[in-house]
Amino acid sequence: MSRIGVFVCHCGENISRTVDVERVAKAAGEIPGVAFSCDYKYMCSDPGQSLLKKAVAEHKLDGVLVAACSPRMHEKTFRKATESAGLNPYLCEMANIREHCSWVHEDREKATEKATDIVKLMVERVRKGKSLAPITVPVTKRALVIGGGIAGIQAALDIADAGHRVVLVERDPSIGGHMAQLSETFPTLDCSQCIMTPKMVDVANHPNITLYTYAEIEKVDGYIGNFQVTVKHKARSVDQSKCTGCGVCMTKCPKKKIPNEFDQGHGMRPAIYVPFPQAVPNTPVIDRENCTMFQSGKCGVCAKVCGPGAVDYEQQDSFTVEDVGAIVVATGFKLYTIDRKPDDSPIQGYGEFGYGTIPDVIDGLTFERLASASGPTGGKILRPSDGKEPKQVVFIQCVGSRAREKGISYCSKVCCMYTAKHTMLYHHKVHDGQAYVFFMDARTPGKGYDEFWRRAVEEEEAVYIRGMVSRMYQKGDKIVVMGSDIQVGVQVEIEADLVVLATAVQAQDGADLLAQKLGISYDKYNFYSEAHAKLKPVECATAGIYLAGACQGPKDIPDTVSQASAAAAKVMTLFAKDQLERDPVVAKVNEKYCVGCFACKKVCAYGAIEEKEIRDRQGNLVKKVAYVNPGVCGGCGTCQATCPSKSIELDGYTDEQIMAMIESL
Amino acid sequence: MKNKLMHLSNETMNVGFVKKVEALSGSSVRRCFQCGKCSAGCPMSTFMEHPPNRIVRLLQLGQGQRVLAGRSIWYCASCETCTTRCPNKVDLAAIMDALRKLSWDADGPSKESYVQLANRLFIENIRTYGRQYELRLGAIFNMKSGQFLKDLMLGPKLISKGKLKMFHSKNRNIGEIEGIFKRIEEMRKKGEAL
Repeated sequence: MSRIGVFVCHCGENISRTVDVERVAKAAGEIPGVAFSCDYKYMCSDPGQSLLKKAVAEHKLDGVLVAACSPRMHEKTFRKATESAGLNPYLCEMANIREHCSWVHEDREKATEKATDIVKLMVERVRKGKSLAPITVPVTKRALVIGGGIAGIQAALDIADAGHRVVLVERDPSIGGHMAQLSETFPTLDCSQCIMTPKMVDVANHPNITLYTYAEIEKVDGYIGNFQVTVKHKARSVDQSKCTGCGVCMTKCPKKKIPNEFDQGHGMRPAIYVPFPQAVPNTPVIDRENCTMFQSGKCGVCAKVCGPGAVDYEQQDSFTVEDVGAIVVATGFKLYTIDRKPDDSPIQGYGEFGYGTIPDVIDGLTFERLASASGPTGGKILRPSDGKEPKQVVFIQCVGSRAREKGISYCSKVCCMYTAKHTMLYHHKVHDGQAYVFFMDARTPGKGYDEFWRRAVEEEEAVYIRGMVSRMYQKGDKIVVMGSDIQVGVQVEIEADLVVLATAVQAQDGADLLAQKLGISYDKYNFYSEAHAKLKPVECATAGIYLAGACQGPKDIPDTVSQASAAAAKVMTLFAKDQLERDPVVAKVNEKYCVGCFACKKVCAYGAIEEKEIRDRQGNLVKKVAYVNPGVCGGCGTCQATCPSKSIELDGYTDEQIMAMIESL
Repeated sequence: MKNKLMHLSNETMNVGFVKKVEALSGSSVRRCFQCGKCSAGCPMSTFMEHPPNRIVRLLQLGQGQRVLAGRSIWYCASCETCTTRCPNKVDLAAIMDALRKLSWDADGPSKESYVQLANRLFIENIRTYGRQYELRLGAIFNMKSGQFLKDLMLGPKLISKGKLKMFHSKNRNIGEIEGIFKRIEEMRKKGEAL
């Protein structure tokens, strides 16, 4: 006869509001094999846990059932309490009478009945439960950081400074990301390059950081503590070990009129190039699509002028496999464009703004380049069409963002602040110019943020107009902007020289494909999902993978840097142990009955099932059976349901347990 | 006028006028972030075509002529509820005062406004008689505003109760009153007053 203790929680009023907890506790006490039952206001609190420990000792309990919230919330808490009371932690289970009962029902009578049933069947599971020992797996103390923007750089530096080795993989030829493109940063207006480039150099010089630029993630295998990541090194056509970064190739390249992506297409670069002068590494790449040598086979100027002979037209893509224990994903964002999108696209463009055909309608990042001292205009604000200084500039916020019908319902978070910054930069550079801002709300939650915005309005003379723009069109060399001021209640028309759109922040191109390789979840906008919005904001649901920066959702620099450091701290926590303890809820094969059909291997989502040969003493093959790698097994139970001979069982969810639960009802 | 399309440019935004309002009232117009608390508490708000917050908004957009074209500023009772409760320390009562002063000299429909006419006649009477002469005020107001019979039936009642004097009585020290007016005119010339 078992001696089980049942502890029913009120969860403040969350459960007791709809469930008569005292009755549930009383009914539980009458189940054969239950030696003790009680109810308490907050089981998870310190007195609640003490009550559990005391009961285990006093009543000599051999199993514990806590009827409270979801095990996702507090299973760990109660298993720990059970363990400190001297029982195997896996003899403690939770009956979810909050999410599965009190929160979703209104009828008190029926909810109480249901809660009693849930408790009844969970008692059976506890009764058939077994003591389990945690599984230990070794940890490779080397981290992978994907993305070399400020998020990736910060995470990599933090982990490396803690003494662990880091591999930083960046898709573009240089690290730096979007932050390197910015002119000045809110709310202090310090120069982005000045605070960014030293960090980039630190990454390049750090003895613990291996930097791979112009590289992408090809494949990810393994599990927490033991990932094998295949990195694709795109052919640079320049041998990094030989190149001295002198830049002669770039000055001699005959093809110089290629729009530079770093300047949002407004500056020009040669076919062999570094994206910007402060690039790290300072090794050029050849843009093969625009290179005469690659397109027609005739040129080769760069190879001729290269002193160390670093230019290599024959270079091929190469691959390396990196063993790492943790992965930080920091792939960043891209900006929404207003151009016409396919009709079946979930995201739509702006016909009323001319679908991006008016040359002097630019986005915020382009304005950053125009205002940047390293930009195509040398820091002078000149409009793209004719290079004149604009005297009337209209800024429009929430372009794409918060526009459900255009396909994006979220707020992009950074636009209010950077638009305020833009008006200031403009006012500082064009004293007789006037900036207008059309906005719906000014969202400025952040330290010193609202003060910054008010400064733009009160001291820097930006005219903020609450209301949106309905249409704009070219008229001569002006852009007529038709909007409204909803505070006055009139239509407003402005003949602008330049229009700057604060377009929405979107997930990076290919974010979904990378997520599939990593096995992490993402939302409908391709932003990566955290494990818990409030309590696990940097962890992915997949163990060992962490998020940093705007790949998770729109984020400004302070938030990004904070999250990157948080992700780094999580990695360090993982690396603090030599062995990793894992929940022993894994599948086990009964080799006696297994016929080796390997149906389980086909359905396993984790790739945890291997083929194992069983040989007799002479070494003759008797049969092949399935083997579950406990380090890889995710404990989902798919194999158990699939196995035709019922020879796989998941610990903690055995057939015996499940059958007993069903029979109890 | 209220719903006319608003063209915004350096030319159409009269920043000079707004600067004058700010100098006169000693209060920034740009500080206002349009929460609407002034209009919420204003006892005269329901009578105004531009409630107080919109007056400030129009000033922010350099639309002084739109403000003066309306009568809102004349409905303001100077109770200072707006000023007291403003979260941004915008002294709206002072701004209203400044606007009324500026409207005196401004070209625009407010010159024909009855309120201003009444104010003008009121001051004229004080200058001429040293005190108010209500019968003359009423008579000239009715003539100039073209509403000859307005409030005429109130006359006998007020006269019988002694509230309306048939003949004026002049202040003994009328010369000193004239001195005050002269001094203000001097100050205006020097730009010390408006």
